Amino acid sequence: MPEIRLTVVDPAGLHARPAARFVQLASRFASRIVLRHDGREADAKSLISMLGLAVRPQGEISLAADGPDADQALASLAEELGPFVMPVTGRP
Amino acid sequence: MVSLVLVSHSRSLAEGLRDMVAQVAGDSVPIAIAGGTEDGRLGTSAPAILDAIRSVDRPEGVLVLLDLGSAALSLEMALEELTSGERERVVVSQAPLVEGAVLAGVQASLDADIATVAEAAASAASMTKLPR
Repeated sequence: MPEIRLTVVDPAGLHARPAARFVQLASRFASRIVLRHDGREADAKSLISMLGLAVRPQGEISLAADGPDADQALASLAEELGPFVMPVTGRP
Repeated sequence: MVSLVLVSHSRSLAEGLRDMVAQVAGDSVPIAIAGGTEDGRLGTSAPAILDAIRSVDRPEGVLVLLDLGSAALSLEMALEELTSGERERVVVSQAPLVEGAVLAGVQASLDADIATVAEAAASAASMTKLPR
């Protein structure tokens, strides 16, 4: 199951608007997509599940997908998150 | 796509919430509001609710979210005016208005059916504010 790790850098954390965009995009893929934070896991296709993670600024998240379009889903979702996150690896 | 009707005692609350849902869910979701009385005071109006429902009536269904108190009474009066065909397409949410509208809006934007949109709205009742 492919997985990517990201740090949320937006000063408001993973707030409602980016989380909603994320859910809308995730719902286009067949794969099961989960977002993990602080030992908890959220269904990336459910807004309430995502908001329930309450990811704060500088919070670390990992995004994993399982299914036929898993790699494509992760690439698209990472791109969608864009300015809200940065990769965990590659930080100074 | 399922549409939403937001019923509040306050016109500005309903308008603000409509803006908020549109910003979070995107502007593809049809939203009608019924806020305040016909003469602009705080309160609810059955005719305004009826107009709002009819303005966004569609085969996929209409989810109505309301605030409190007499909003329920006005809504019941409005529902009684609907034809049985119209009434079948309308679902009334038990959700808290603000959170319910946002969650329902995002779910509707995914082209979910009315039962799924209503379920998303209902889940708002268990949303945490500050994590404990």
